[in-house]
Amino acid sequence: MSETEIKEGLRYSKDHEWIKVEGDIAIVGITDFAQNSLHEITFVEISEVGTVLEANGECGLVESMKASSDIFSPVAGEIVEVNGELEDAPEIVNEDPYGKGWMFKIKPSNLDADLAELMDAKGYADFIASL
Amino acid sequence: MKHGDVIPFAGWEMPVRYTDIREEHMAVRNSVGMWDTSHMSRFVIKGPQASEFLQTLTTNNVSKLSVNGGQYTTCLNEKGGIHDDLTLYRVGEEEYIWITNAANGPKIKAHLLKHADKFDVEVTDKSREITMIAVQGPNALKLMNKMAGQDVSEYSRFSSYTVKLAGYDTYLCRTGYTGEDGVEILLLDTPFDDAGKRKAIAFWEELLKQGEEFDIKPCGLGSRDSCRLEAGFVLYGHELDEDTSPIEAMIPYAVKFKVDPHYIGYDVVESHKKEGGVRKTRIGLVMIDRGIPREHYPILQNGEQIGEVTSGGLAPTINKGIALGYVAPETLEIGDVVEVDIKGRMRKAEVTKWPFFDTDLYGASRTKHPN
Repeated sequence: MSETEIKEGLRYSKDHEWIKVEGDIAIVGITDFAQNSLHEITFVEISEVGTVLEANGECGLVESMKASSDIFSPVAGEIVEVNGELEDAPEIVNEDPYGKGWMFKIKPSNLDADLAELMDAKGYADFIASL
Repeated sequence: MKHGDVIPFAGWEMPVRYTDIREEHMAVRNSVGMWDTSHMSRFVIKGPQASEFLQTLTTNNVSKLSVNGGQYTTCLNEKGGIHDDLTLYRVGEEEYIWITNAANGPKIKAHLLKHADKFDVEVTDKSREITMIAVQGPNALKLMNKMAGQDVSEYSRFSSYTVKLAGYDTYLCRTGYTGEDGVEILLLDTPFDDAGKRKAIAFWEELLKQGEEFDIKPCGLGSRDSCRLEAGFVLYGHELDEDTSPIEAMIPYAVKFKVDPHYIGYDVVESHKKEGGVRKTRIGLVMIDRGIPREHYPILQNGEQIGEVTSGGLAPTINKGIALGYVAPETLEIGDVVEVDIKGRMRKAEVTKWPFFDTDLYGASRTKHPN
């Protein structure tokens, strides 16, 4: 797994989600490590826009050929947009997990405290090395 | 070639995939795929009373097996529940091979040895002396004809013949677990030592090399499961267990009643067949809504749970979620719409016959050949 890509400037959860803050909105996806472990992603489903979540709240699922995995929101807030392209082309998550494969945008409600609970790139690299 | 994710499986280390599960799956449907299935257990039963012994333990009609014949059958407990499902081949006048699920190997070995005492038979565990490779798909027999240097495609389904493939001694069995035409090869004299392993690997490489012109792909556990699920085949530990009868599992072809002697579990299965009394029945589902059904997801009708999914996943050939599951008897008919509870999201699915693929285009009985 040495070739796993981890991007600087993002925060990471132990459930292998990444989060990127842009102004008052945060973008969430799954990491390269996660998509590589799942392999062949066949289906992505995220809760509807307007869903209010706690930090680590379950908000969707990712199906691969072998298994179903839950998606959790790394931060509390309200879902404001879901990546509709994944409905017809879930493989985008495999191809570009940090870019076009983003999953949803959330308007955070407790951002600073929630971000403090997450890992930076170095912390996440150490975390997956320990698995 | 990538050497896909290797995982522990029934005491073995096995690849989930070599490349992509869907690619491997579609190779089996469109050309040919091959799996190392040496994890399965293989027992040789030999002796003057082998037939009576096997009839005591299995539900198909053993006396109908001619030499070189084979049959899919089950082995039951006293309550008529399935102890194991297996393929039984008659390879000699008084010699049979019992091929079974890897996870059931130790249990079945104990069961065979326990009952063998009362018969003039000898039971030998050959699991570590015979390598097993499945070659499946519309090009499988073309490859076998080439490697055998003779036409082996005339051998009937479920038969097993001694055939030399590229000089290797094998039992060539016209069976499989994909819904496609094909063979399961028992590569003889490959003991679990360095020389035996080298020979087995050399044979695997030979299949890959000679199979290249037929677009062969090595396949892992992932596509083995997706192919059998799409064909509607049962898997022990999912659709079959000690509390499920073969009638409930909807595999009536594995069960015969005009047999002598009666097998263990006969009375229960006979009552399930002839008087009803089944506790549940197996169904197939194709998702209408988006979503992938998975094992243990509840199946609902009019808001009431009537059963649950036992196997589910994406069917690559139709690109839809499919499932096998059990529901209360006589609640559903083909074409009925039910709901599957996918982690709290209620999603519609239609009760469907298996196989789940279009049999005009795919499967052993396809009418439109891809080549």
